[in-house]
Amino acid sequence: MSLFLKPVGVMLDSLYRQRGLIWVLVVRDLKARYRGTFLGYLWSLLNPMLLLGVYTVVFTWVIPARGQVDVPFPLFLFSGLLPWLFASGALLDAAMVLPDNGPLLKKVVCPPEVFPTVTLLSHLFHHLLALPVLLLAVTAASLAGFMTFPWTMALLPVVLLLWVLTVGGLVLAVAALSVHFRDLKDLLHNGLNLLFFLTPIIYTLEMIPVPLLRRAILVNPVTPLVELYRGVVLLGKVPPWSVWVAGLAVTLVSVALGLVIFGRLRETLAESV
Amino acid sequence: MSTVPVVRVLGVSKRYPLLSRRGRLHSLKGALLHGELWRREQEQEGFQALTDVSLEVDRSETMGIIGPNGSGKSTLLKLIAGILQPTEGSIQVDGRVTALIELGAGFHPEISGRENALVNGMMLGLSRAEVLARMPGIIEFAGLGPFIDQPVKTYSSGMYVRLGFAVAVAAEPDVLIVDEILAVGDELFAHRCLERIASLQRQGTAIVLVTHDLGLVEQLAHRALYLREGQAVVCGPAAAVVARYRSDVASTEAAVEPVAGSEQRWGNGAVTLDAVEILDAGGRPARLLRSGEAATLRLRYSVAEPQEDFVFGIAINREGGGHVWGTNTDIDGWHPRLLDGQGEMCLHIPRLELAAGRYLVDAAVHTRAGLAFDYACEVLSFTVATAVPWPGCYAPEHRWQPVGPSIDPPDGAIS
Repeated sequence: MSLFLKPVGVMLDSLYRQRGLIWVLVVRDLKARYRGTFLGYLWSLLNPMLLLGVYTVVFTWVIPARGQVDVPFPLFLFSGLLPWLFASGALLDAAMVLPDNGPLLKKVVCPPEVFPTVTLLSHLFHHLLALPVLLLAVTAASLAGFMTFPWTMALLPVVLLLWVLTVGGLVLAVAALSVHFRDLKDLLHNGLNLLFFLTPIIYTLEMIPVPLLRRAILVNPVTPLVELYRGVVLLGKVPPWSVWVAGLAVTLVSVALGLVIFGRLRETLAESV
Repeated sequence: MSTVPVVRVLGVSKRYPLLSRRGRLHSLKGALLHGELWRREQEQEGFQALTDVSLEVDRSETMGIIGPNGSGKSTLLKLIAGILQPTEGSIQVDGRVTALIELGAGFHPEISGRENALVNGMMLGLSRAEVLARMPGIIEFAGLGPFIDQPVKTYSSGMYVRLGFAVAVAAEPDVLIVDEILAVGDELFAHRCLERIASLQRQGTAIVLVTHDLGLVEQLAHRALYLREGQAVVCGPAAAVVARYRSDVASTEAAVEPVAGSEQRWGNGAVTLDAVEILDAGGRPARLLRSGEAATLRLRYSVAEPQEDFVFGIAINREGGGHVWGTNTDIDGWHPRLLDGQGEMCLHIPRLELAAGRYLVDAAVHTRAGLAFDYACEVLSFTVATAVPWPGCYAPEHRWQPVGPSIDPPDGAIS
């Protein structure tokens, strides 16, 4: 067991000591991303707004969604999509983050766990910038009488913490494994596409006609996390305990997996990347 | 010089996995299909880059690592820097290590030089406040002026390297690891780098230096380690280790290169130089000579058509250009009578007062008017070793005589 715990301890310690560097790198990422664009940081706000706008138009006038949910369908979709985009974006970047920073790993003495952490944090930052868009849309929809305002929104920090930890664990695992298995990136790309449709993001569980399929989707570990997110941020219903427990279990497994895999491989990363 | 080693390398070996094995493990698909995901590597597989190397570097000490390409120098540096982990043995380093392996590695092209300097400085272990405090010094040293706030992608390669070096030395490391980086940048910057390295030496930084510039090792390093095929050949005072390496290189060359086989050779063939050799004080043909000792240049000739007007000449040139000295029998006042058959002409030099380095010899036999019978440029090379790495090419006997200054003579340390 100490074989696993020791590198994990070293890793967490180095992450704490490198917190200043991590912060500077996140800022650098954000700066580099919008360098040379006219709208700059506004894009972080505009991207989700445009997405919401498109969904609203499509699902209100083009293919009006049937009223399976008692909230506006575009909002339903948007609130499921936001955390999904955060997770999938971070994971896809994680598959490239160590090879991309290869020169730093090989030529500068730099602890490797810094880079996936930066990936996680900069995606979290974009997610946090998109949240006000959702919040404003929900408030507007409530004021217009389409729905009641979800006061359960107060629980969002807790749910967000579960998401961040889960994605963080997976990001670590993907980053370390992608150094040894370069196909992981393509595998991940297709896997995430498949998983997207297996997760109740563009539909609700109740919409599924086949019970067997519904059960399969319930087994999907992402389902409880999406349910929790949408439950508190939009539906205004605190999800039942079973969903919380499932979500917590997914988080714990993912964190443990990430720490152990990255810890085991971290010493070999610099020479394999 | 204190005797506390800050770098301790104990019996270190490093084996790289072979590419063929990595190739098999490379793809997840293959791993899943063939169940090879957790297949353990076999012990004897792989490339042995270093075998049982030990090394200690004290505070304020500079250690040069020399050896031919592929001898494991850079691997050793990366092990000391903590970038790689040893397969066997242990490495202990006290204090902050800065590795100058590639200057400006990891600069982000889209953001400004200033921001990159901040990120790089923090990667080298400084806090944000420390980097910001040193920023004026970094900008001054890099000499970037207003360009510091431009994106790094607009920089010339020289600017890039200067900024990288400026940040790295600003970190004031306890251990500085330098891999063949002083070759980049212009002459002026190279001098400033050397000055900066010298000032770090004075501040007590331990420096590990890998370079093919042996003169630089003699100039900067106190001790040196000579690696060959991953094994330590010899470790000791820099001048002695460099001399050993030079003599190894010279003897390898002697085995490969015929004595008289220069392409820059012309003449009408009436007289042929059959061999040009340099003999050491003991009269043996040599490639490595010690400065201040006697040496003899010997020209062996054979004559096809007897000559009454002939001159033997010798010139010594510094490798890489520059005449050092030359003479011929005519300048020295000898009167030719008859040259026939075979024979030797020797030029005896009682004291070879050359500084350390490699020299090339031109030898010729021609008429007084300059018509060449056989003129061979760079027909012979030899290497001179000195006890002290004086710069230049002339190393006369000399002695300091202080009249006034309070200054202690060397305490016999100069051997």
